[in-house]
Amino acid sequence: MMKQVLMFAGIATGALVQQFLPAWPMFGGAKSPVMVAFVVYYALHREERAMWVAVVLAVLLQDGLDPGPFGPALLAFPILGKAANRIRFEIFADGMVTQVIFGALAAMAATLVATLVYALNGERPFHFGYALLRIIGSGLLGMATLPLVSRAVNQLEAALPKRKGYGWQ
Amino acid sequence: MFFRNRKLVYIAAASVLLVVAFVLPSSCSRKGKGVVREVVAPAERGTSGLGQRLSEAAAAIRGIGGAVEKNRELSHELVRVQAELNQLRDVEAENVRLSRALDFYKPRNHAMIPCDVVSRNISGWWNTVRIGKGSADGIGENHAVISPDGLVGKTTEVSAHTSEVLLVCDPACRVSAKIERINAFGLVRGMGANLKGHPKARMDFINKDADIRVGDEVVSSGLSGTRGVFPKGVHIGYIEKVYRDQSGLFQSAEIAPRATIGLLDYVFVVSDPALEVKP
Repeated sequence: MMKQVLMFAGIATGALVQQFLPAWPMFGGAKSPVMVAFVVYYALHREERAMWVAVVLAVLLQDGLDPGPFGPALLAFPILGKAANRIRFEIFADGMVTQVIFGALAAMAATLVATLVYALNGERPFHFGYALLRIIGSGLLGMATLPLVSRAVNQLEAALPKRKGYGWQ
Repeated sequence: MFFRNRKLVYIAAASVLLVVAFVLPSSCSRKGKGVVREVVAPAERGTSGLGQRLSEAAAAIRGIGGAVEKNRELSHELVRVQAELNQLRDVEAENVRLSRALDFYKPRNHAMIPCDVVSRNISGWWNTVRIGKGSADGIGENHAVISPDGLVGKTTEVSAHTSEVLLVCDPACRVSAKIERINAFGLVRGMGANLKGHPKARMDFINKDADIRVGDEVVSSGLSGTRGVFPKGVHIGYIEKVYRDQSGLFQSAEIAPRATIGLLDYVFVVSDPALEVKP
């Protein structure tokens, strides 16, 4: 129960943090993919049901706080969550290398999906070079973000009070 | 048979959900987003307020404490005086040029609603900020937003207590503008930001014979939309580069929209003249 509350609070705080973090002009205006990092973290560390809760919450916040129609996160996050959740027993989820690789791949995939959605519906101008810069840039930011998010959530969960004295209950 | 195959059911449900979400009428989508924004707004306000207090505390520690509040008050006053001045300039120009039609001229007195900027865009795909007032405070869609430095943008998606402001440097924002010195009209549209992060805009469809110079001031012409979304004479920026359109029929110019550089703790929404503004 406490872990679920922490998940809700963490994702909501992640949305606020992502909003206040600056966009990186040298990475094509990409922002640190905090919400993607939360989705991947919960996909790698939880069973499928909890992963879907995290995905729905992240989609609602990411697309709900962004102008324009629902779409980029709605399309990308479930695919990322499902893919990561499926292979979570085959990898070492808390390993730094795993997190760096997954952070980069997930952020690049989410940016690619958003680029395609915006290019198809014409809401954002499409320039190939700029899009490529943005995808690579978000990959680099994702490499840094997922390990940080992962470490923060792990430490917060470790700090939660432990259940004591089950006794006859 | 179909319903026994859980995978197929999931795939079908997901497909239906995606189709519904993508073809959702924009009014429904906006209502949904409005709910999310209203829920998040108190936290955004708290975080933004905390950030402001921290920066003010830092300023006080650096030895300019007390000046922050004064600066804020003076900036509020400056915007009001600038708006009045712009209006008076327009009235004067109209008097000279349209003296015969003076009886028909009705200056519009816009009220200005001061608003705090509570957050920036979450994805980085849009050049927007969110302000902490909405329809409950008399703000509607497509209202101009200005700051002490000039035109900031316009409101796009408005919920009860928040509004999304599309900045002048966003490619979706278009403003009818003129070059003040030579009275040449054109259309300003956003170009995003360059690799250094400086916002860019471009003024198109300027008369090919107009004598444009680098450094000329660009202001809003007051001709945007049927309801005059942007009031007349609001500063947008200065011309940085001039070049001829590919067709040779027009000139274009690059401008730096000053009001969106290093944005901003608070802005003013220019409301409809008829609306009463809460203090």
